[in-house]
Amino acid sequence: MSTPSAGQRFIRGILPENPVYRQMLGLCATLAVTNNLKSAVTMGAAVLFVLVCANLMVSLIRHLLTPHLRIVIFTLTIATFVTVADRLLAAFLYPMSKALGPYIPLIIVNCIIICRCEVCAAKQGPLTAVADALGQSIGFTLALVSLAAVREILGTGMWFGFRVLPAAWPDWVIMVLPPGAFLTFGLLLGLTNWISAQRAGKEEA
Amino acid sequence: MPPAVATIDTASPNRSWRDNALLQGWLVLLLAIVFGALLAGVQTALGPAIADNKRNETLSRVPQLIPPPDTAATSAQLEVDTRMLPVSSGGRTAVYRIHRASRDDELAGWVVQVAGQGYADRIEVLLGLSPAADVITGLFVLDQKETPGLGAKIAEAPWRGQFAGKPAALPLEVIKGGGASGNQIDAITGATISSRAVTDIVNRTLADVRDQLATDAGKAAP
Amino acid sequence: MTYLIDILLIALGAALINNFIFYYFVGICPFIGVSRRVEMAFGMGCAVTFVMTIAAAISWTMTRFVLMPGAPLTQWIAGWWLDPQTAAGVDLSILSYIVYIFAIAASVQFVEMYLRRFFPLLYRSFGVFLPLITTNCAILFACLTIMSRLVGVDDPAARWDLGQALVLAIFGGLGFTLAIVIMAGIREELEACDVPTPFRGAPIALIVGGILAMAFMGFTGVDNGLKTALTPPAVVAQAPPTEPPSGAPTP
Repeated sequence: MSTPSAGQRFIRGILPENPVYRQMLGLCATLAVTNNLKSAVTMGAAVLFVLVCANLMVSLIRHLLTPHLRIVIFTLTIATFVTVADRLLAAFLYPMSKALGPYIPLIIVNCIIICRCEVCAAKQGPLTAVADALGQSIGFTLALVSLAAVREILGTGMWFGFRVLPAAWPDWVIMVLPPGAFLTFGLLLGLTNWISAQRAGKEEA
Repeated sequence: MPPAVATIDTASPNRSWRDNALLQGWLVLLLAIVFGALLAGVQTALGPAIADNKRNETLSRVPQLIPPPDTAATSAQLEVDTRMLPVSSGGRTAVYRIHRASRDDELAGWVVQVAGQGYADRIEVLLGLSPAADVITGLFVLDQKETPGLGAKIAEAPWRGQFAGKPAALPLEVIKGGGASGNQIDAITGATISSRAVTDIVNRTLADVRDQLATDAGKAAP
Repeated sequence: MTYLIDILLIALGAALINNFIFYYFVGICPFIGVSRRVEMAFGMGCAVTFVMTIAAAISWTMTRFVLMPGAPLTQWIAGWWLDPQTAAGVDLSILSYIVYIFAIAASVQFVEMYLRRFFPLLYRSFGVFLPLITTNCAILFACLTIMSRLVGVDDPAARWDLGQALVLAIFGGLGFTLAIVIMAGIREELEACDVPTPFRGAPIALIVGGILAMAFMGFTGVDNGLKTALTPPAVVAQAPPTEPPSGAPTP
């Protein structure tokens, strides 16, 4: 496999190598914050910020890294940028910061970020690393939004807090509760597998 | 599945100087200093804004929980003064965060911030009391994680509005089936436990702080 | 007595009612990835519980004495060259996340070395999972929960002590173990089932997880009822007469 260019990496992160649906990374956040679209989008933005900063930073110092201390440096970088993201949210979007609670600091242990630092940023130049970070985090955000869109509209009849379905819609409360997250994600994951299997079948035929 | 952790090419020609422990130590130290400075900057720049956000979250609710002035002529702004009130009763001590609201140096009411266990998780409420701490003037739910559509109704105006005007001297009782009067509170249909949890928090708070606040109000009066 | 009830409720809450996996969704990656065989799941659960307890102890100590606003150690050190009032305002909580993640990494290293040296048998059974644990959300989540019960709590008596923090970690870990062992048991059976192709693997595991989460929702409110049942009537009577009669809550 030849080394993909910056543009290819960007595109790849969004669908073909979607971090949630394809790589099954960062599931804590995926399930926990998707009971409404607002949280999902905020979470996506926070991950975007952290991933871009961390990837850029790691890419800039990539020539100095050695196996022993590589992970330590990644962790330090990620933890710092997560703290910055956490404080930015608390300062400018306080209600969201309160609603997301511990899930913002939990970005530190979100496998997507350390995985991208390791796989891409530690070997590529800053431009590629940033493109990769953007692609992956947009892919992550899209996955969150897809899940949140289903859960919020079925659970409350609303999107972004605005009523979409008529008020007569009997809210499926279970969708915004924890079990709804598991069920919706399981079904959506099955659906994506089915669609890609169909596509692969067509290409072969 | 997560991709396997990539192996770093150990055959890299620069390995000898890159592997130097001293250099690596310096790199970590340098990064720590840079990040430390970054965080210090963030804290200095955003710290006050965050503290304001936390304070305003509560303070912005205080005017709704304090009854409007008797005379429409009074246009004085509410001034809120927050302090901690330690209370010990029955062998336990609790500390309450009390907001003292006043207009033109005259006591307009109290708002007590208190948390307790709900059906699903902690419930945090603001309880408004009249200056003499004898009447409840309002209730606001700051934070709750009760079941959406059922217990979460404790945060909605129709239910929490019931508390306004209730006497503070008698313990409140939760009744089912509607028609609450006097010191009774209607339970939310299908969420009796959540209703009772809030009422219990209110009762406990009243029992703890009422006398203390009434005394303070007497002292403050000229 | 009140303290014991409190401990019991924290334990029950962490293990069952607010189960780390089924309520907070932390530690999902091993839940989906590792939970294919019961023994492996059990080993993973033990390793997580072990590390979580040590990390909780470290992060409680660090938060209580160094990181939280007004922490004694920080104040004392800052007092060397700052006047007392400025020193009292020193707030290092911005460093919390960095400290926690390194506390976790250190505990993982420590547990690994200790086990390898003194309990080689135990090491062989779950040592392989140890390096994975650093990035397990459940452990950082336990640290963050402990932090939320220390920082920003008005009432000094309501702040968690080390005992409460450890109970949260141990029982949170046990709840985690329980969840992944149940899951592994079901998945072993699932292998014999005819699952539609697109749903094989993770999707069906998630759907089973959803059903288990529904089952665990049944525990909600148990703590409330238990507290009412356990609180000795004497305490209620001691309180001023405004206390309501504490009837058993109806579910």
